[in-house]
Amino acid sequence: MKAPVRLTVNGEAVERLVDVRRPLADFLREELGLTGTHVGCEHGVCGACTVLVDGWSARACLLLAVQCEGAAVTTIEGLTPAEGLSPLQEAFRTVHGLQCGFCTPGMIVVAHELLQRTTAPTPDEIREALAANLCMCTGYVSIVRAVARAAGARREGGAA
Amino acid sequence: MPGREPGGWVGRPLPLKEAARLVAGRGRFLDDLGFARLLHVAMVRSPHAHARLVSIDATAAAALPGVAAVLTGAEAAATSRPIRPLIPTAAPIDDHCLAVDRVRFAGEPVAAVAAVDRATAEDAVEAIRVAYEPLPAALDAEAAARGEGPLLYPALGTNVVWHDTLSYGDVDTAFAGADGVLEERFEIQRYASTPLETFGCIAEYDAGTDSYAFTTNDQRPGLTLAILAESLGVPQARLRLVCPDIGGGFGNKRRPAYLLICALLARRAGRPVKFLEDRRENLTALMHAASGVMRVALAYRADGTLLGLSVRDVTDEGKNLVSPAQHNLIKLGNIANGYRIPAIRYEAWSVLTNKCPSGANRGIGKPFMCFAIERAMARLAHRLAVDPAELRLRNYVRADEMPYATPTGSRYDSGDYPATLRAALERFDYAHWRREQARARAAGRLLGIGIATSVEPAGTNLASYEIITGRRAASGSAEAAMVRVEPDGQVRAALGDPPSGQGYETVVAQIVADELAVHPGQVSVARGFDSATTPWLYLSGNYSNKFSVTDTGAVVGAARRVRDKLLRLAAFRLEIDPADLELDDGAVRVRGAPGRRLTFRELARTAYADVLGLPPGEEPGLEARHAHQNPLARPMDAARRVPSQLVFANAAHCCLVEVDPATGGVRLVKYVVVHDCGRELNPLIVEGMVHGSTAHGIGAALLEEFRYDDSGQLLTSTFMDYLKPTALDVPDIEVGRLEHPSPFTPLGAKGVGEGGAIPGPAAVASAVEDALAPYGAVVRALPITPETVWRWLRGR
Repeated sequence: MKAPVRLTVNGEAVERLVDVRRPLADFLREELGLTGTHVGCEHGVCGACTVLVDGWSARACLLLAVQCEGAAVTTIEGLTPAEGLSPLQEAFRTVHGLQCGFCTPGMIVVAHELLQRTTAPTPDEIREALAANLCMCTGYVSIVRAVARAAGARREGGAA
Repeated sequence: MPGREPGGWVGRPLPLKEAARLVAGRGRFLDDLGFARLLHVAMVRSPHAHARLVSIDATAAAALPGVAAVLTGAEAAATSRPIRPLIPTAAPIDDHCLAVDRVRFAGEPVAAVAAVDRATAEDAVEAIRVAYEPLPAALDAEAAARGEGPLLYPALGTNVVWHDTLSYGDVDTAFAGADGVLEERFEIQRYASTPLETFGCIAEYDAGTDSYAFTTNDQRPGLTLAILAESLGVPQARLRLVCPDIGGGFGNKRRPAYLLICALLARRAGRPVKFLEDRRENLTALMHAASGVMRVALAYRADGTLLGLSVRDVTDEGKNLVSPAQHNLIKLGNIANGYRIPAIRYEAWSVLTNKCPSGANRGIGKPFMCFAIERAMARLAHRLAVDPAELRLRNYVRADEMPYATPTGSRYDSGDYPATLRAALERFDYAHWRREQARARAAGRLLGIGIATSVEPAGTNLASYEIITGRRAASGSAEAAMVRVEPDGQVRAALGDPPSGQGYETVVAQIVADELAVHPGQVSVARGFDSATTPWLYLSGNYSNKFSVTDTGAVVGAARRVRDKLLRLAAFRLEIDPADLELDDGAVRVRGAPGRRLTFRELARTAYADVLGLPPGEEPGLEARHAHQNPLARPMDAARRVPSQLVFANAAHCCLVEVDPATGGVRLVKYVVVHDCGRELNPLIVEGMVHGSTAHGIGAALLEEFRYDDSGQLLTSTFMDYLKPTALDVPDIEVGRLEHPSPFTPLGAKGVGEGGAIPGPAAVASAVEDALAPYGAVVRALPITPETVWRWLRGR
């Protein structure tokens, strides 16, 4: 069964007729070609598919596309500048906050959300924010460093 | 520091070249690739651990709209050959890509459907009617080792694939002359590294040429191609295998049977087909580290000197006929850990059970081997009332004994094991935390300190299978690479080892940059793997820590061939002896006369275009391939000594835990790793691997377990109940390092990828045991759950 859905994805209006059983993650990946949103467990634990829905992080594997009627969805593609990288992405690159890169988009989405709400997160607050996302490669140490570095850079930038 | 001379790129902490695409979500993983008319595969999987397959009726499924092809086990058996076990079995076993007649673990595929999308394929799977006649399941490997329980393959007459006793040195005398013998029984659970991207493949069939192409995140393409050719009955020249970006591997990402299923479906449907595991399929049916039971006996003198070691090791392989006994052979090669133990006996059983196939998983076999030895050392220290660090220092192989031949045939190439432990104790501030522990204990708080040290080998030598088969098939450790100066003077490289997060595009560029005196930014390294263009060997692949000890040699060798050719071409054109030339910044120049130079671009013009300008007899082009084999690999000798692995790094872990008496929860307060992986090619990547592998060890120690019930059903088949460490479970791991280069690798590097996965479980276990010493707790099995701790705290 199909139903219409209208939403905004990375600032662009999207209107589609979708299978009502289609998860948002599959909709983004397969119908919009936004393959930066990864699917790691399909049961809402690993966080690889994390996107922002109206500014809040959400599991795209647990939402149906039709549930996003009227919503503003932001994916990793929407958090990436047209040229180069965002300061947060640059921090991940610089301190080796990734290895295979499969969890990375989800990590950056939750880190972005954290930095939107907190200017000076403590390491514990960073860990708390990242704790809903799994990484099998890094042991999280350098991901925490990356987020702390991005937060520090943002504060310095704001003070300047 | 070696390799830090000006311009030396090897040894620098360069950020990943790969990062720019990966942090932007622009990686190209298997599921991101587009193929026209692609079909999607779902599989019917056995709900029983052990059952006779009575009948399969797929007619309703085949008739569903959107279903393009259905494949049953019988059809697979009729159109492909069985996958051959790595070691010969007592009777011929036909193990096909789909189960035929009998299923042997819950989750084993019995039929597959290709449809227009995965949801339609899953609908069709539900429409397939399978009749099973359940059989009693063989779940107890120790019982099977005693000859009890149901048989997986009645034709074999046993579930024991291999049983043997190997002795090195005079074991009986060592035990007879000992002041004491410590005996312990340890268990390890099933767990896995569970790469975040699951395993899968896309298969294409071209009827015109009867050829197949596979796109897959298989991490060992050389071996897989051999299996596919044999099972499909086509020449290898008609197979192509491509690896895109791979989202983690850790040894888990291999299952030739799935590639075969997709190949048969693609041929049947005349369209490309894709299978990608869902997480439940991944946890239920891909690959677990083998569980097992080890009985350890340590003979010692009163002063703690180790005299002899006897190990009886029952490995629960699950339904693993692809690589049985691999865990055993790897354990044998690492059995002495870093210690001088002159006499060793190893009795091994490799046992089939009705569980998920076991296989390679970060450290394969070594985490359990290290757990058993290091736990035994902790118990011996307790018995002798010696500090556990001191007991180890008395028994290490010393730096002046390197290279050191172990009794079982391994060679420890370099390192200073006592110095590694001392550095860890110092960094941890061991004396301080011992005092704090006593103070905390007096105040009712339960702090514990754990120490574990390990050797960490790199490179596999399949000649070790001679111990089992008496003959040699595959052997040694080798890899192939290509380096090419393009017609425009830019550099390109490719490697037969598809990376899965190790940053080879970066490290290979660093190595080539040094050899050709260019900037790493000028070296483009091929992404992934393509059997049609990448040089590769049967031994090619991403496994066994082998990058440092074989891949580096392939890259260095290929680059040096290109460099030598550049020098010859320049010498000819400049009419000068090549010995008077040197490479600098993308050019060849005359020593002492910087103005006399030819750029790579100018030389490439001669090599590719103006070939009449080549020296007489010189072949056109500026490309070289090279394959390197590590020199430490040897066949088995008459005393049945053989190195199952080759070059040895080492590490010391020191951690502090606090146990919550109310909940039984364990919190890691502090974790120090000091390791020595020889020359670090890229310290940023190395440190990341130490963190990640240690996190895996922590997970195995405290959280992760594939637990089966009495009927062989997996109880932990989602990430809700198979628990992975999160950012709240892994502390800020502190890493220190020593750097003793290996004399047996081209750049002095050693393995580092398995790292903390090996000693991590033992270190955490010893810390928990230390915290619970007032309660008499002894950790003999993992994981240490809050329930286990809670029971200890309350005397059960």
